[in-house]
Amino acid sequence: MAHIEFNTHISGSFNRELEDLRNAVLVMGGEIEQQLLNTLKAMQFNDASLAEKVVINDIKINGLEVEIDQECLRILATRNPTASDLRLVVTVSKTITDIERMGDEIERVAKLITKGTFQIDEQIKLNTIALGEEIVKMMQQTFDAYARQDVSAALKVYEHDTLIDAKYQHIVRLLKERIQGDLTYLDEWLDIMSGLRALERIGDRCKNVCEYIIYLAGGQDVRHTNAKKIQKKIKAMILS
Amino acid sequence: MKLFNTKRASPNKLSADQIAVDIDGLSVRLNQKKVLKKISMRIPAFSITSVIGQSGCGKTTLLNAMNRMNEIVPEHQTTGQIWMDGRDINHRRENVSRLRTNVGMVFQRPNPFPMSIYENVCFGLKLQNKNNRRQLDDAVERALINAALWDEVKDRLHEPAGILSGGQQQRLMIARALALKPQILLLDEPTSALDPLATLFIEELMQSLKKHTTIVMVTHNMQQAARISDYTAFIHKGELVEFTNSDKLFTNPKRKQTEDYITGRYG
Repeated sequence: MAHIEFNTHISGSFNRELEDLRNAVLVMGGEIEQQLLNTLKAMQFNDASLAEKVVINDIKINGLEVEIDQECLRILATRNPTASDLRLVVTVSKTITDIERMGDEIERVAKLITKGTFQIDEQIKLNTIALGEEIVKMMQQTFDAYARQDVSAALKVYEHDTLIDAKYQHIVRLLKERIQGDLTYLDEWLDIMSGLRALERIGDRCKNVCEYIIYLAGGQDVRHTNAKKIQKKIKAMILS
Repeated sequence: MKLFNTKRASPNKLSADQIAVDIDGLSVRLNQKKVLKKISMRIPAFSITSVIGQSGCGKTTLLNAMNRMNEIVPEHQTTGQIWMDGRDINHRRENVSRLRTNVGMVFQRPNPFPMSIYENVCFGLKLQNKNNRRQLDDAVERALINAALWDEVKDRLHEPAGILSGGQQQRLMIARALALKPQILLLDEPTSALDPLATLFIEELMQSLKKHTTIVMVTHNMQQAARISDYTAFIHKGELVEFTNSDKLFTNPKRKQTEDYITGRYG
């Protein structure tokens, strides 16, 4: 499968526009990664002011989504992109929606940190941070795969989600034990549960981005397809 | 954080020194027919402005008005002002030859003169009695380089222009106009007679030319207007319906008439 080059149009300005569009997604990805890192740091040191900063910074992520989406709309209206260019613009528009939602999930967790929710149980906190670190890795792999349009790397990210799910289930089991043992902090446990769910959803969003990468690079729509079938499709794409 | 470099100020918000042509209440009557009705628009300098509209709406007449080509029509009447460099070009004392040197024009079909490539490019200069061989050589080379044609013709400058392909001939026409170092270049459907690839080359050329020249182009191809122009004017039955940034006009036009035209709902 040939690597798609977006800088080979006769129109140099169109090359620049597509390049800027791709870079904008990576800029937004970098911002979201920093948001998650700050959230985990705030969780670790119970730093409410850092968590507050993460909450405020989400406005910036929202602004980026609007700006990039407007550029996608402009390119669609004025450039009439086709084939791989069209796939790029459409996938960028979809990707930034997922990144913005990741931002919302991070904001949810950060808000819980400002209330000191995760401080009631050290073991659960440490496990949650470990889960968060895995998600950071997954995010980095996702944006690396996006930058290189690397279908194989995207598939590995897809597989990484299984690990995230296992870690998530482990923390949920711990939570259940705590709730069964003592109902005094039920509200806090439920808050932690919603925070965990938010983190786990970031993994799902990364998976969505990987589906877009596969569509962008190979034109194969793998949404709502199980992992085995995706693997099969990708192998066929790589061989072709 | 600035992610994209594609936002442009609305033509109404530009200062006077950023405007190349200021058209004020322009009406043109040709052969007893009112072709343009009180057009007022400010064309930004160093940008590409497209004029779109149905056939017979007055696009070409507007373009012709900018270098007084309408005067070729026996019964013509022009009212209103067109300001360029602080001068009203419609003023009776305006030197038309100088105006046409400053405002070059390229037509729909390439119309090379039956002479060599070299002679075609320096034709205008020779008319101005510039006959110094070295200066002419330099001017021809510069014009051909700016028109992105030099590499293709440098070894056959003295061969007839007719041997060039359609796309090359159109670039030759642009070089002929550029040789006079115009401040404004008027293009009347410059790519309608060309194939898609030659069209893209001309469009790319226009992008590089706008760094030094203001380009005003009439086109029937709306996609082309959207693709390359910074500003777009929509004219309907001789009236200016809307004139704004191409991005705005093609994503969110203000007037329903414009929306109907660009979405193919007209009629």
